[in-house]
Amino acid sequence: MKTRSVKYLIKEGISNTWVNRLMSLASIGVLVACMVVIGLAILISENVTMALGRLEQQNVVMVYMKDYNWALYGDTEREEETSSEETPADTSSDTVSGATTSADDTTSTETPVDDGSDENGIKETDYVIHNEKEAKDLCDKIAALENVQDVEYISSDAGLEAAKETMLQGQAEYFTFLDDEFGNPISAAAKVTMVNMDKFEETLLQIEQLDGVDTIQSNSDLADKINAIKSGLTVAGIAIMAILIVISLVIVSNTIRVTMYNRKLEISIMKAVGATDAFIRIPFIVEGMLIGVVSALISEGLLYFCYRVATEAISTTLGTGDIIAFGDVAWQLLAIFVAVGIFSGALGSFIMIGKYLRKEGSEFAAI
Amino acid sequence: MQTDTFEINRISDKPVIEFKGVSKTYATGTHAIEDVNIRINRGEFVFVVGSSGAGKSTFMKLIMREEKANTGTVMVNGFNLTKMTRNQIPMLRRTMGIVFQDFRLIPTMNVFDNVAFAMRVVGASDKEIRLKVPKALSKVGLGDKAHSMPMQLSGGEQQRVGLARALVNSPDLIIADEPTGNVDPNMSYDIVSLLTEINKRGTTILMVTHDHNLVRDFQHRVIMLDSGRIVADNAAGGAE
Repeated sequence: MKTRSVKYLIKEGISNTWVNRLMSLASIGVLVACMVVIGLAILISENVTMALGRLEQQNVVMVYMKDYNWALYGDTEREEETSSEETPADTSSDTVSGATTSADDTTSTETPVDDGSDENGIKETDYVIHNEKEAKDLCDKIAALENVQDVEYISSDAGLEAAKETMLQGQAEYFTFLDDEFGNPISAAAKVTMVNMDKFEETLLQIEQLDGVDTIQSNSDLADKINAIKSGLTVAGIAIMAILIVISLVIVSNTIRVTMYNRKLEISIMKAVGATDAFIRIPFIVEGMLIGVVSALISEGLLYFCYRVATEAISTTLGTGDIIAFGDVAWQLLAIFVAVGIFSGALGSFIMIGKYLRKEGSEFAAI
Repeated sequence: MQTDTFEINRISDKPVIEFKGVSKTYATGTHAIEDVNIRINRGEFVFVVGSSGAGKSTFMKLIMREEKANTGTVMVNGFNLTKMTRNQIPMLRRTMGIVFQDFRLIPTMNVFDNVAFAMRVVGASDKEIRLKVPKALSKVGLGDKAHSMPMQLSGGEQQRVGLARALVNSPDLIIADEPTGNVDPNMSYDIVSLLTEINKRGTTILMVTHDHNLVRDFQHRVIMLDSGRIVADNAAGGAE
């Protein structure tokens, strides 16, 4: 098709939109309503995602290491072995736990035994992380995992202090007593923040498999809830978009159908003098697209105004400024609106005029 | 009206329209055209007559390829219409001009734009349009009405605009579907006279009519259809 023909047809499409301005206006009204709902769904989704992101950042896991303190207090396998080596008489004489008993025994002797164990009866081979460098190396290994955003090393001393702060006075005193008498009961740990909560369980498994990792404290319930909300939002968003796009398509198709019947005479003349289907279609497609683009621009403006009013009201009543600024999503919204408008306009027109050209638009019969 | 020597020489042996064993039956079971064999040569003026339901409209629709024959071969302006795809139809239509009984002028466009519309559809430039439209309007005697709106014209004048539109792309064949059906008797003679003038310049004319006076007075070839069959074909002129 020649350039001058395309120019003429685009001009025709624009002129048709004006000639059928009442129908065009009705279509724009319904399309704007659909697009505003789509925009609201996107804005709500963005705000919820931002809030969830903040929750995700709070959902850190604590990875405790197999260090000396672990061997002293937490290595249950070693404790069992130690207990079984003790004489029945020894066992019956003490009523405290195995760990305390073994620690008690070693502190009372005050001298390392010949098998290489220290005053607490712990050998170097009983634990994996021997010093701060090895602990930090393990942190680096965790940080290197794909889904890990951040790793913070928490030494056993820092861990103990942090634990005491959260405890009741009696519990804190007990921990101070343990620390003073036998050593710090808290193992060194890595505080891990993940990138994506969808891969939460998978990442936990990867961390567990690293040498030197004892236990992981996590809040998997929160992760599951976040994931469930995210999935729900995605499904609802897609469903709303799909329904509204179908509605938009139907609306534009109906406008084009009315325009087409109004221009039945012109179409029959066009066909009679040898117009191609594309030549007949283009003005209708231009009209549909124009309706879509105008609707997109009006929707963007309307949504901006509504969102501004709503955010001001929320900020004033709830005192929170933690809401996404319209400017952050303005281009994204406009792109979606224009895409929906052009898509529904062009496709609606294309389908409708195609149907008409195949079945009606007789050139010869009286119209 | 006498067939002159010029007219005889002008008519060539090359067929513009050729039907060979053509039948058309609609999905409803109506046999509209049955075993029609006909040949219309370049430069001929042919009246197609027949009562309602005789098959005239289907005959014209087959020529325009608005309908496709069930059997037989239809050749028009060198196109084999029975093998033609839907995409090729516009190319066929550009070789013919169509004049409608109900004029089919766009009421929101003036006379000039109505004629120019047929040129725009085939991608003509503004320069070509400015050159050819006034010529076409002059041929039909409406050179001074270019800026008038269709509603300001009489029935006869409106049909002349329709004729100018059919002529403006210089077609080889003009198909006129009862062009005098909506105009008064005097205007009818003017319209057919005009078509005869156009025919004398070499354009083949196929005109459907119910008006026996016109057929009698303008002595051209007459094809008479009845129940889908050609019952008379008087190439010498005058209705049988």
